[in-house]
Amino acid sequence: MLQTLPAAAATDEAPPRPILQLVGVRKVFGGFAAVEGIDLDVREGEFLTIVGPSGSGKTTLLRMLAGMDQPSEGNITLRGELINDMPPNKRPTCLVFQSLALFPHKSVGENIAFALKVKGVDAATRKKRALELMRIVRLPDNYHDKNVMKCSGGERQRVALARAFAYDPEVLFFDEPLSALDYKLKKALEKELKDLHRETGKTFIYITHSLEEAMVMSDRIGVMRAGKLVQVGTPEEIYGAPVDRFVSEFVGEVNTLKMKRAGAEWHGVDVPGTFTLSPPKDGASLDEAFVVIRPEYMRFLAPGERADNQLTGTVYNEYSLGSRIQYQIRVGEKVMLAELSRARALAPGASAEVTIGWDAADAFTLGS
Amino acid sequence: MAGISRRSMLQGMAAGAGALAAGPLLGTGSALAAREKELNILCWEGYNSAQVLDPFRSKTGATVKAESLTNDPTMINRLRAGEINTWDLINVNNPWARKVMLPEKLIKPLPKAEFEPFFAKMLPEFKWPYKWAMSEDGNDLLGMVQRFGPYSFVVNTDKVSRKTAEETGWDLFNDPALAGKYGILESDDWNVFNIFVVAGIDPFKVHTPEEMAKFEETAKRVFKGAKLIGDIASMNQALISGEIDLHLTGGTYSVSPARADGHPNLRAITPLKGPLAGGKGGISWIEVTSTVNNPNLSPLALDFLKYVQAPEVAHTVAFAEGTFNPVAQMGNKACFDLFTKEELDAIQWDSLEEEMARSVEYDIVPDYDKALDIMNAAKRLRG
Amino acid sequence: MADIALARASKMAPETARELRHARRLSVGARCALPVAVLLAIGFLAPMVAILAYSFATPRSFDVFRSFTLENFASLFDPTNTVWLSFAWSVGFALFTVAILAVIAYPIAYGLNAVFGRWAGFVSVLFVFPLFVSENVRLYGWVLFFIKNGVLDGTLKWLGFSGGPEVLYTPGVTLFGMAYTYLPFMLFPMTLGLALVPRDLVDAARDLGAGRLFIWREIELPLAMPGILIGMLLTFVLAVGATAEAKILGGQSIIVISHDIEIAFTYSQNWPLGSALAVVVSVFIAALTLVALSKLDLDRMLGRR
Repeated sequence: MLQTLPAAAATDEAPPRPILQLVGVRKVFGGFAAVEGIDLDVREGEFLTIVGPSGSGKTTLLRMLAGMDQPSEGNITLRGELINDMPPNKRPTCLVFQSLALFPHKSVGENIAFALKVKGVDAATRKKRALELMRIVRLPDNYHDKNVMKCSGGERQRVALARAFAYDPEVLFFDEPLSALDYKLKKALEKELKDLHRETGKTFIYITHSLEEAMVMSDRIGVMRAGKLVQVGTPEEIYGAPVDRFVSEFVGEVNTLKMKRAGAEWHGVDVPGTFTLSPPKDGASLDEAFVVIRPEYMRFLAPGERADNQLTGTVYNEYSLGSRIQYQIRVGEKVMLAELSRARALAPGASAEVTIGWDAADAFTLGS
Repeated sequence: MAGISRRSMLQGMAAGAGALAAGPLLGTGSALAAREKELNILCWEGYNSAQVLDPFRSKTGATVKAESLTNDPTMINRLRAGEINTWDLINVNNPWARKVMLPEKLIKPLPKAEFEPFFAKMLPEFKWPYKWAMSEDGNDLLGMVQRFGPYSFVVNTDKVSRKTAEETGWDLFNDPALAGKYGILESDDWNVFNIFVVAGIDPFKVHTPEEMAKFEETAKRVFKGAKLIGDIASMNQALISGEIDLHLTGGTYSVSPARADGHPNLRAITPLKGPLAGGKGGISWIEVTSTVNNPNLSPLALDFLKYVQAPEVAHTVAFAEGTFNPVAQMGNKACFDLFTKEELDAIQWDSLEEEMARSVEYDIVPDYDKALDIMNAAKRLRG
Repeated sequence: MADIALARASKMAPETARELRHARRLSVGARCALPVAVLLAIGFLAPMVAILAYSFATPRSFDVFRSFTLENFASLFDPTNTVWLSFAWSVGFALFTVAILAVIAYPIAYGLNAVFGRWAGFVSVLFVFPLFVSENVRLYGWVLFFIKNGVLDGTLKWLGFSGGPEVLYTPGVTLFGMAYTYLPFMLFPMTLGLALVPRDLVDAARDLGAGRLFIWREIELPLAMPGILIGMLLTFVLAVGATAEAKILGGQSIIVISHDIEIAFTYSQNWPLGSALAVVVSVFIAALTLVALSKLDLDRMLGRR
């Protein structure tokens, strides 16, 4: 049974043993490998999000985890038991579909109690349990007999969630269930989902193409590209230490500058000048590198002010992002982005010619 | 709603709508139009064939429409229901012209002088003045005769010999040993006659309640014992395959296509004796084609009646698609010589004269409606 | 709230104007459609009116609109009239046909959906192609199959068996013919009905622990039910009016109700009686259809999608 735990889920202490383990998992459709050699340990009780652009294989991966597809190669184990070929109805896992897949001919209560009906639970107990779950997902009691298709988008999400909880799964999968909702509702539900995760202590595996969504909710994030897991780490690691340009650019808008090494000096390829680079993360020695600078680490330099690196260009656009302002600065052919809080913004009517700069420690040096 | 009885009803509906609307509409329409190039024929199967009509079409350049039906009352009721303005010629069995259609003014007489000479070239029994072609008072010529034939029952002579069939006659259908081995042709006016005859009663008279009770008992038994009821094609197929050995109601008209198709063992039978007038054993039919009492009759109607008297056309009519029959014009040597040995064999020419002699001619059953209702109820008890 | 209402009110004006223009355009369309509508009304209603009028005419007459009598109906409901037998055969056989076809067509429809996915509906239409060949011709084909020394009997004899079963000209073969004839009418709506069941829902039910049978009972069947019921209704209505099967394959071993109507219109030449019979049957079917359709709450079944 689903119990409401106090803020649990170990993220900082000793890593708990993996509940789900993927070793060399591969899925081939025809001649095309949709998922290629995935190794992944999912920890008990964590909120793991797999992000990737569409076609990166994340949905295929999820379908294999839920049992709707079988891996072509590799092993999936649940608490040490091999479950590659275990059908979905035998797995202690449950998927919340992108479409939600609510049963349109059943009421809210009947939808939620579906798994209980499968188990042969009597009607009175089913109703009692459905009402309990409805309270957990914050649905009013009088919705029990409401036609599920007459519910709003947000309410349907909650029904789908409660229906999955009723199955009492060890692992819950989510296939972009929030993607169809408007921004505000999505934000609210992201937080609710995070709360529910904490309160229930279940292991959540969430699939999305939106890293922003992943950042808000996840304990760990796995980034997928072209069927491969490129990087797995905490939101801070993904944001602060992307392993390559793909991950760094996936996280958000960034400035990427190509550099070439000449002896001990790094020369810009797209922009003029020499630059000071932080050492690459893996300590590799490179002849060519990409420097990735997040717009918020870029600052305007007043005359006489200095930074490790600097560029001179012209402001040709500014966008208000609410509390922040984004500037587009043209440096030769290259457009650089800088994001500043309003307090540190340029004075209106200031000279169009600006000098921008950043410190080496605030940028990543990537080989690819 | 139309779906319920779609097949059967469509015809009925069309006819109903025709009676209501098309009749008067067509009537007024054609009254205004010249009808020199238009001819509408209501007939039995055969006259509506392209072999018969096409030469006439090309000769006259006219639009000729022919509709074939498979029973007389339906055709006559079409005229009664208002289609008298539509049709020019009607082709039905012998008694209807003089006994029903002329008294009801559904048809009009032919010009005697123009048509009398044709009778001279016909077979002897059709010599002028031929009874069924004339009005009751003998003054008017009501129609021209052509196809005819005996129509009692058909046997597979491999199973029941011609001799046995002719001698036993209608009692074959009273024989419990033959139950389940015979079919019944779906030709209900003829079936009414034949059930009476099987019951040992003359059909063409008013019947006593006792006779009607006998009729009912016989109808129930004969229909119950039938392996199948169906159309001509079904009967011939069932005879050929061996599903049945004989079938009630049938004659040269029905069996001739099967005989021509290489099954001479199938044969129309006229019993030697029976309960019919004069102790005759069978019933025969003669088609009479009359001009409809159409206020705007097509002048082509008379031309067509003359056209089919020509030896070649008469031969074509005899062997039109679907059914092969003797024609009165076979009395003319020019016509007779057109028939091959195989064709004569298909229409049982060898015994035609004696079979016609053993048959009474098709007539009207005075209490037909009552008998038909009894027979239809008897049919329902098959299942 | 108030300013929202205001905003809406200010928006109303142009909308009403557009609606007005729209309404005017529709009326032009309606005017253009008028000749066709009139033609359809005449073509469709006139025969119905004729039948209805004839049913009140003097028996065995053509005095339509000139006489009024309930005699035709009275004679149909006369306890000595055995026409109810034909009616019972028709309804009974139609029910049997529906039951048989439901059982036969469901797996086919299921298979079509599994194999052809969203093209299944189109593929099921291909089953309609035999309808381009006259029903009588197809049924005669079956006669040749079942008849003595026919395809079945001949083949079995050739193979050394004693011969085929004697099924021709029996009520059983009539039922077979009806199931054969009406299969497409059951299959098409049923396939569409099954196509209405989203794949996700089946996956979701399975993911929630349900087995094949449970999913079929709780998800597939209820969601496909509109299509199944429409197929059943269509098949039933058509099968009640079937005659060719009983005549050609069944050798009139049973007389069905539309055959009785046909006899009344042909050999009996009793159009008023035939019309009365047609009216009674039509009213029966119409009532049945209306009841079925009112029970068939598509909105509820599909959750108002």
